[in-house]
Amino acid sequence: MTTVDYQPLRPPLTFRDMLWSLAAKREYGLAVLIALIVIVVSFRSPSFLALSNISDLLVYCTQPAIVSCGVMLVIVTGEIDISVGSMLGLLTAVMGTLVSSKTALVPGFGWPVWAAILVTLGLGTAIGIINGLLVTLVRIPSIIVTLAMFMILASITVKIMHRGNITDLPQGLRWFGIGTILGIRASIWIMAAVLIGTWAMIRYTPLGRRIYAVGSNAHAATLSGVSVMRIKLFTFALTGFLVGVATIVTTLGAYDNGIGQGFELLVVTCVVVGGVSISGGVGTVAGVFLGVVLLMIQKPVLIFLNLGPGWSNWDKAIQGLLILAAVLVDHFAGRRKKPGAGGGH
Amino acid sequence: MDDQTRLATDAGKAIGGGEGASYQPPQLASPSFVAPTLTQRVGPFAHELLLFVVLVVGLIWAKQIAPLFMTVTTQQQLLFNVWDLALLSLPMTYIIITGGIDLSVASTMGLSAVVMGMCFQLWHWPMWAAALMAVVTGTAGGLLNGVFVAKIKVHPLIVTLATYSAYRGLAEGLSLGFASLYKTTSVYSGFPTWFTNLGQKAFFAGPDLRHPHWYALSAAGWLFIAAAIAMGVVLAKGPFGRTLYAVGHNETAARFSGLKVGRAKLLIYALSGLASGLASLNNAAEYNTAQANMATNLELDVITAVVLGGTSIFGGRGRIIGTVLGVALIHETREFVSWHYHDNTLIRLVLGSLLIVAVAINALLGRRSSRK
Repeated sequence: MTTVDYQPLRPPLTFRDMLWSLAAKREYGLAVLIALIVIVVSFRSPSFLALSNISDLLVYCTQPAIVSCGVMLVIVTGEIDISVGSMLGLLTAVMGTLVSSKTALVPGFGWPVWAAILVTLGLGTAIGIINGLLVTLVRIPSIIVTLAMFMILASITVKIMHRGNITDLPQGLRWFGIGTILGIRASIWIMAAVLIGTWAMIRYTPLGRRIYAVGSNAHAATLSGVSVMRIKLFTFALTGFLVGVATIVTTLGAYDNGIGQGFELLVVTCVVVGGVSISGGVGTVAGVFLGVVLLMIQKPVLIFLNLGPGWSNWDKAIQGLLILAAVLVDHFAGRRKKPGAGGGH
Repeated sequence: MDDQTRLATDAGKAIGGGEGASYQPPQLASPSFVAPTLTQRVGPFAHELLLFVVLVVGLIWAKQIAPLFMTVTTQQQLLFNVWDLALLSLPMTYIIITGGIDLSVASTMGLSAVVMGMCFQLWHWPMWAAALMAVVTGTAGGLLNGVFVAKIKVHPLIVTLATYSAYRGLAEGLSLGFASLYKTTSVYSGFPTWFTNLGQKAFFAGPDLRHPHWYALSAAGWLFIAAAIAMGVVLAKGPFGRTLYAVGHNETAARFSGLKVGRAKLLIYALSGLASGLASLNNAAEYNTAQANMATNLELDVITAVVLGGTSIFGGRGRIIGTVLGVALIHETREFVSWHYHDNTLIRLVLGSLLIVAVAINALLGRRSSRK
C-alpha cells in the first residue's frame, strides 16, 4: 500500500492575498474594525472604555443579539423573517398589560411576573409557529408571510396600547433588564447563554447540522432523510421564542407603542454584516454577534465623538454604508458561496 | 402512393435535387385550428378577475353602509393620497417580475425631498431647478442600486436593505446637520403656489370647482395613467417586457440566450429611483412639506400592492393591470377603514390579512411557481 500525498493545487499566497483572505473571513474583519473604532473613540474621550460604559454597550446589544441568533438560523435555511420587530412590540405590550396592577393609571391584569413571562415566551413561540406553518404547509414565500405578520402584529400592538403608556412595572420583571448577578447585568448573562446555546446547538447537535444542510442544498437534505419542513418550522418557532426572551430582558421602565419599530431590518442588517449569506447555508454565531456589536456601537460612538449638535444623526447612513462595504469586500475578496460548503461552527 | 412514400420521395428530391424541381414541403393534413375556449382565454386572468370582483363587491358594500364615501367628490378627494403608492408600484412590478425587490423606494423619496428642500430653502435655487435636482437624486439613488444588483451581482434584498438605511440616514443626517449649521429648521416648506398646485389641484376639472368633472386628476394622476399604459404595453408586448419575464423565469437561460440581463436590471432599478423622485415631488407638493421622514414604511405598502396584484415574488409572473387593481384595492381599503371607522391602526391589520389570504389562495390553487 502506498499512501498518496495529495498536493493542494493552489498558487503560493502573496501578502496581498493573505490580507484579502483575512478581510474575507468576516469575523476577523469585523473584530479589527471594531477594535479600530474603539481605539479612535477612546483617544477622543477616554471614558468610553470605562467598565460601566462597556457594560452599558453590551446591555444595548442584548435584544438584537438574542433575536439575531434566531433570525440567523432562519436565513441559514434560506428563508427570512421580518416580523420580529412588530412581534417584539406586541409581546412587550402583552407582557406589560399582564403585569401592571389593576389600580395603575392604565389598569392591567396584575398577574404575577412568572406567569406573564410564561405567556410572553409561549405567545412568541406560537406566532413563530404560525409563521412557520404558513411558510412550510401553505407554501407562501417567507418574505410575504412575515411582511403580512409584521403589519398584523403592529396593528394589534397599537390596539392594545391605545389607552396609554405602561409605566407601572413590578421590580421582579425589571430585574431581568437591570438586575445584576455577580456584578454583571442579568441581561448580559441571558444574552451570553443564548449565544453559547445557539453556538453549541449548531456545533454539537444533529439538529444544528441539519439546519445548515437544508440551507446549503434542500434537495440533497431531503434525499438524506432530513425533513426540510420540520427544520424550517423549528427555526421560525425558535425565532419567536427568542423574541420572547428579548422582550423579557428589556431595560425600559415604561412601554409605549413605538417599541420594535425598525427592529426587524436592524436585525437583518446585523445578520448580513455578520457574514450570513442571504441565499442560505452560511453563517456563524461569532460573526453575527460581532455584526450586532458593530451596528449597535454606532450611536454611542457618534455621541462620544462629540461632533457637535446636529452631526450625531448619521447612524442610519453608516448602518447602510456598512452593508454596502461588507458586500464590496465580499465581491473583491472573491468570497463566494460554494454549493455544499456549509459554514458554521 | 401512400403518405410514407411520398414523404420519402419529397425528402429525396430535396436532398438530391432530383429533377431540378424546387422543394415542395410535404402536404400534411390541414391542421384544424381550434379557437381557444372561454376558459382558456380568461384563465390566465383569473387572479385579476378575482381582484376586480372583490373590489367591486367591496365598493358596493361600502356604498351600502357609508353612502357618502362612494360619492364622486369624496373619491376624488381621497384619490390625492394614492399617487405616491401608485407611481412606485409600477417599476416595483418590473423589479419583482425579474425576481428582485426594492426596499429603498420610500427612503429614496425622503432623500430626494430633503435635497429639494435644501436646494430651495438653504441655497435659494429656483423651484424648477430644485425639483429637477430631486428627480436627479432619485434616479441616481436607483442607479446605484442597479449597479450593485447588475454589475456587482449582490442579492437585491441586501443591496436595497443597505440603501434603505443609507438613503434615509443621509436624508436625516443632511437635514439635521444643515439645520444646526444654518440655525434653521430641518422641515422645508413654503414652496411656490405653482408647485403646490401640482399636488393639490385637479387638472381638467372644468369650470365649476365645487363639482369637477369625474375625470379630473392631479398631475401625478395623469402621469400615473400615462406611465401605467406605456409600461403595461411594454411589459406585455415589447421585447423589453419579454426580457424581464425571461430574467425572472430563469436568469442563466436568459443570459445564455443573449439577452442583456445586466442592462435590463440597471434600467429598472434606475426607473424605480426616477419614480421615487417624482413621487417625492408629488408628496412635497401635496403637503407643502419636504422632510427626511417622508413616506416612512411606504415600501411595504408598495410591495403588498404588487404581490396582491398577482406578481410572483419569485419572479417570472405578473402584469401591470394586476398591480393597478392591487393598488386600487389597497387604496380603497385604507381610505374606507380610516374614513368610516376613524381607525388608522385597523388598516394594517386588514391589509396584512388580505395579503396572506390572497397569496394563500394563489398558492393553494396551484398557481405557485414551480421553482423553490
